[in-house]
Amino acid sequence: MSTIDLKLLIWRQKNSDSLGDFETHVLKDISTDMSFLEMLDVLNEKLTKDGMEPVAFDHDCREGICGMCGAVVNGVAHGPEKETTLCQLHMRKFASGDTLVIEPFRSRAFPIKKDLMVDRSSLDRIIQAGGYVSVNTGGAIDGNTTPVSTETAELAMDAAACIGCGACVASCPNGAAMLFTGAKISQLSLLPQGHAERKQRATAMVAQMDKEGFGYCSNERECEAVCPKGISISSIARMNREYLKGVFFGR
Amino acid sequence: MWFISFVNSSIGRKAIMAVTGLCLISFLAIHAFGNAAIYMGSKYFQIYADTLHGFPVLVLLFGLGLLVILTAHVGFGVLLFFEKRKTQSRYRVATRVVENTFASRTMPYTGLFILLFLIIHVFGFNIAVPADVPISAVVKDYLSGFFYSLFYIVAFVALAIHLNHGFWSMLQTFGVNHPRYNCLIATLTIVVPVAFLVIFGGIPIYFMTGAGASF
Ligand code: HEM
Ligand code: FES
Repeated sequence: MSTIDLKLLIWRQKNSDSLGDFETHVLKDISTDMSFLEMLDVLNEKLTKDGMEPVAFDHDCREGICGMCGAVVNGVAHGPEKETTLCQLHMRKFASGDTLVIEPFRSRAFPIKKDLMVDRSSLDRIIQAGGYVSVNTGGAIDGNTTPVSTETAELAMDAAACIGCGACVASCPNGAAMLFTGAKISQLSLLPQGHAERKQRATAMVAQMDKEGFGYCSNERECEAVCPKGISISSIARMNREYLKGVFFGR
Repeated sequence: MWFISFVNSSIGRKAIMAVTGLCLISFLAIHAFGNAAIYMGSKYFQIYADTLHGFPVLVLLFGLGLLVILTAHVGFGVLLFFEKRKTQSRYRVATRVVENTFASRTMPYTGLFILLFLIIHVFGFNIAVPADVPISAVVKDYLSGFFYSLFYIVAFVALAIHLNHGFWSMLQTFGVNHPRYNCLIATLTIVVPVAFLVIFGGIPIYFMTGAGASF
């Protein structure tokens, strides 16, 4: 089993009201088979043993599907590996002697709760504003009542792959949530089930996005490059179309 | 009102940038077409200029319209620039995964340089033109000067850089992003700025190098 030694510069912040700063830790004999979060677990065990406060970070599934984890590693959201969440990033991607600077996802709309934990409920409020379809309850309809072409289903699925981790916001030079909101709008507007509320949806979700303090888009493409699910900026173009249609032709 | 909230929204502001940008590009296309008469000689250029100014009301309306459009473009551009500055440098280590192009990084600066050029250009060839001198003579006189011409060329280069990001960015803002056309758009975002650079930039070079001595 090969191991590496690392130096960590990790962001420590007591709560949303206090000022944070970097703390330096040296980790020896980290197995290259560990995931990034397991490496942080090792650090936390060490901190606990030494009577220090462990580093708070979000995580849940640890298999890249829930969207809870995330930190900026050496300036890149979710670290250096393409289309990979932090929990799925493995330590073999680093070399012995590396210094890792670990910071929380920063945005005006993501207040830091503690250390690497940020409050991303602003994304939930964007969904609440319009990321749903309204369906009358009743008897279950037949599975093929509404035909959807394979291509459309695939495109909608590509957009639905968004796990809402917030890496797009964290990496955007403008702190915009365009990729997230674009993916959520795309997923619904592509499918016939989403057409009923189409005209209000984009306007409502974009209004909420602006209210939360997210920035605008200057087409830098950084979001699409760091997205662990490979969401394309064509989702943003689709959102722009939906928004313009909603504003000019909605009721 | 819906229009106010549209203009205040993040996508609305970008849409205004894109619409005004498209208007400015369309104007430039017409302007380049007309000015190309210079390459045919002073006689043709003078005929073009006189014909154009034979419709003073239209020229005035068009000019005022352009002024409004340009003011909106510059105003929102500056607004977006300041908004962007608020979110910069929030990380200890700043890494770009996709290196943003020189053009996208310098949008506000190339833009402001174009504005400086426009002020000098309109002043020199429009406001401060002596009534008794034909415009073709004024153009030749000014653009035969080395530094005046050089300034023009630098401004056209700035315009080309601005449009290199601006053209595709405008289409993305409008929502034009389709696998069938993305390749064409990537080509056009180079071809369109270069075309402007060649047609406009050729004029000062034409006079500067003496090729237009018999103009
Ligand atoms: C004839 C002159 C000009 C033309 C043809 C032009 C064209 C364009 C176009 C097509 C865009 C893209 C819009 C989008 O991203 O959706 C753009 C963006 C921009 N323009 Fe201009 N422009 C001109 C002059 C100026 C001037 C004088 C300024 C002065 C500040 C300026 C500042 C900007 C800025 C800052 C952006 C980028 C906005 C962003 O961050 O996305 N432009 N321009
Ligand atoms: S912990 Fe679930 S995606 Fe990383």
